[in-house]
Amino acid sequence: MTPFDEAFHASAERHERAFIVCVIVMMALLTVATMFYVVHDFGLVTTTQSFHSDPTAAEREVAAADTGRVVKTGPNSYAVHITGKAWRWTPGVIHVPEGAEVTFYVTSSDVLHGFEIQGTPVNLTAVPGVVGTVKYTFHRTGVFRIICNEYCGMMHHAMIGQVIVDARAAE
Amino acid sequence: MSGRAFTPGPVVYPVETDEGWRPERRMMLLFLIAGFCALLIGASIGPLQALNYDGVNAYPALRSIFHTYYQGLTVHGVLNGYVFTFFVTCGLLVYLPARELGQRPSMALWGACFGLMAVGALSLIYAMFDNSSSVLWTFYPPLKGSPFFYLGMTILTLGSVQPLPVLLKMRAAWKRAHPGCVTPLVTYMSLVTMLMWALAGVGALSELILQLDPWSLGLIGTIDPMINRTLFWLTGHPIVYFWLMPAYISWYGLLSRQAGGKLASDPMARMTFALLLIFSLPVGSHHQFSDPGFSQIWRAILVVLTMSVAIPSIITAFTLGLSLEYAGRMRGGSGLVGWFRALPWSDPSVAAQVLGALTFILGGATGIVNGSWELDAIVHNTTFVPGHFHVTVGSVTAMTFMGLAFWMIPHLTGRKLISRRIALFSVWTWFVGMSIFAIGMQWAGLYGLPRRAWVSALPHDTYHALYGVAATPTTLIAVGGVILWVATYSFFLVFFGTLLFGRRADRPAVPFAQALSGPVSHETGVAIPVATGHGASVLANRLEHVWALVGLTAVATVAAYVPILWPFLHNVTHSPGWVLW
Ligand code: HEM
Ligand SMILES: [Cu+2]
Ligand SMILES: [Cu+2]
Repeated sequence: MTPFDEAFHASAERHERAFIVCVIVMMALLTVATMFYVVHDFGLVTTTQSFHSDPTAAEREVAAADTGRVVKTGPNSYAVHITGKAWRWTPGVIHVPEGAEVTFYVTSSDVLHGFEIQGTPVNLTAVPGVVGTVKYTFHRTGVFRIICNEYCGMMHHAMIGQVIVDARAAE
Repeated sequence: MSGRAFTPGPVVYPVETDEGWRPERRMMLLFLIAGFCALLIGASIGPLQALNYDGVNAYPALRSIFHTYYQGLTVHGVLNGYVFTFFVTCGLLVYLPARELGQRPSMALWGACFGLMAVGALSLIYAMFDNSSSVLWTFYPPLKGSPFFYLGMTILTLGSVQPLPVLLKMRAAWKRAHPGCVTPLVTYMSLVTMLMWALAGVGALSELILQLDPWSLGLIGTIDPMINRTLFWLTGHPIVYFWLMPAYISWYGLLSRQAGGKLASDPMARMTFALLLIFSLPVGSHHQFSDPGFSQIWRAILVVLTMSVAIPSIITAFTLGLSLEYAGRMRGGSGLVGWFRALPWSDPSVAAQVLGALTFILGGATGIVNGSWELDAIVHNTTFVPGHFHVTVGSVTAMTFMGLAFWMIPHLTGRKLISRRIALFSVWTWFVGMSIFAIGMQWAGLYGLPRRAWVSALPHDTYHALYGVAATPTTLIAVGGVILWVATYSFFLVFFGTLLFGRRADRPAVPFAQALSGPVSHETGVAIPVATGHGASVLANRLEHVWALVGLTAVATVAAYVPILWPFLHNVTHSPGWVLW
């Protein structure tokens, strides 16, 4: 090794060690920040309501739970049951009040679909035979689009539903 | 900055003196050509998809080739993601170690690798072009393609693990000839990559062989979507390392030499590969953060593992940067950025790899976004995700392989590149186009633009109502796509032009890099054996025990997947298949 090589190598080793320490600290901090959401669950994390061996049973369960209507489950909470089937969401239009906690129960009766509400972090895979749930509170009135974001065939791009958030009637 | 002049022009590679490798060179050339033919088809389709997102629907005009956008997308994903990368990698990871060790590979096994992959690829191509299998490259059931698709995929994957026994045999023979010596670096990295891939392949192969093949043949009636999706991602995550590790091999093993310098740290290169082996297997289900059926605890563990797998890549960035800095300073560059300017930018092979590495800054950073589960909720299955992986596999891997082709074709055929200028032009346009494209895709994803969606087929008003807000980023997507078309065809002009019309010239030797520290040295293109315990670092010695690493990885993978699969195995859904295109 030339003197330049020696000097370069020595300095490289020092920097390398410092760099690795920095990387590990950074990733640890990121991990801790992410973990915060495990402890403090905002409801957005997909959870599982039930499993079924018959892929249409989940649809029936959801239907029995009154598909097409938004069910009031508490003073300021609502449940919505939704099924994806190529290529539409049932119900296709949902009205929910502003500021209420809405729990979505989502399943599919044929292939995989993706339940994405544009402009929100709601993002859940609709799987035949499995009912998944997420919770979300809409703080803004207006029309939100439900976009299927898991490929489901020829008209996948046209599988669009709507969540309409209504202003609260003055109480 | 400083007035000191630096050495201009490319680094001159030593001339190949060993003329005894004819069959190996030919086989390597076959792998290279097959891989790049797949890329030619795949990359020709890519810009059509980019235009789609800007509302331009080219597919009605292409009806004689593609019935739907989704058929074209299946071809793009399968040919680029699997066929291109597998062929180049399976050639390279045998050829480079063979030359490094000076050991003959088993031509029968290596040839079988090529044969199997060729049969698999042709079967896939048949099934995709007859529109029987527009299931996309992830082929999630219960969408149901034709048996030619699944059988082709099975055979292609089986073929892609064949380099492992070839490598093991060569390494064993070399070790017998040099008892007590450390495996030379490029061979070590290739071996770890293939071990990783062979372990990873268990997921997709068991999905295919136990479920999808018999299902598509009508031997079993129904299928469970979650089990198969989970098995797919057991392979589907490590595959991204099967895309990246060959590029890292080129960066660690060759690029520093091509740039006129030395590899900064040999033991660190080995450690990076060992970490990639261990961490890439157990984390596959981080692609399922949005799926039901996962306990919160497991999601949390997956986040930790995912963050850990970023560490070796960040170390690679550091070591690569150091090696390039050394090269730049050896060439007379000085100051804070002078060394970077002093790199041999006029060598298209160096330019391709360094520019590819630069895009990885964006690719790696956005990968960390995907890996953080609550951020993932915002971007999951939006165009953010393909935006992310086009600045990993679409730039790091594709550009490094393009760079490899620029020295390898002259090396293998004894023909000079027909035009260094066009080669450089293709590399720069790819870099610029891919960066613009990826930024557009990621930005558009934040508006909820879904991936894998033929949005240009929507009625005009609907498209604008839904995605009009993303007009600026979707324009970037289209612009990037068109630039990439130019890049693709100028690259292939050089590629095929050189193969057919290149002038005869001396063959450059394989540019194996020497390490600044650590056990490996290549004075003449063949590794000089370094005995363990003499000059070999402690770390390199420890990492020689590859089977221990494999065992550790296997245990970690089983530990991760048993709890994940448990609820699915106890709640099997019997889904019939659907053909919906
Ligand atoms: C010529 C430049 C390229 C362009 C313009 C391009 C464009 C695109 C676009 C727009 C998508 C998203 C399509 C969608 O989600 O609907 C896509 C998907 C994809 N691309 Fe590329 N691409 C290019 C090159 C590559 C390369 C070089 C690779 C890999 C080596 C690659 C691998 C993939 C894969 C695996 C997918 C995912 C397909 C899927 O979601 O099913 N692409 N590409
Ligand atoms: Cu869909
Ligand atoms: Cu992954």
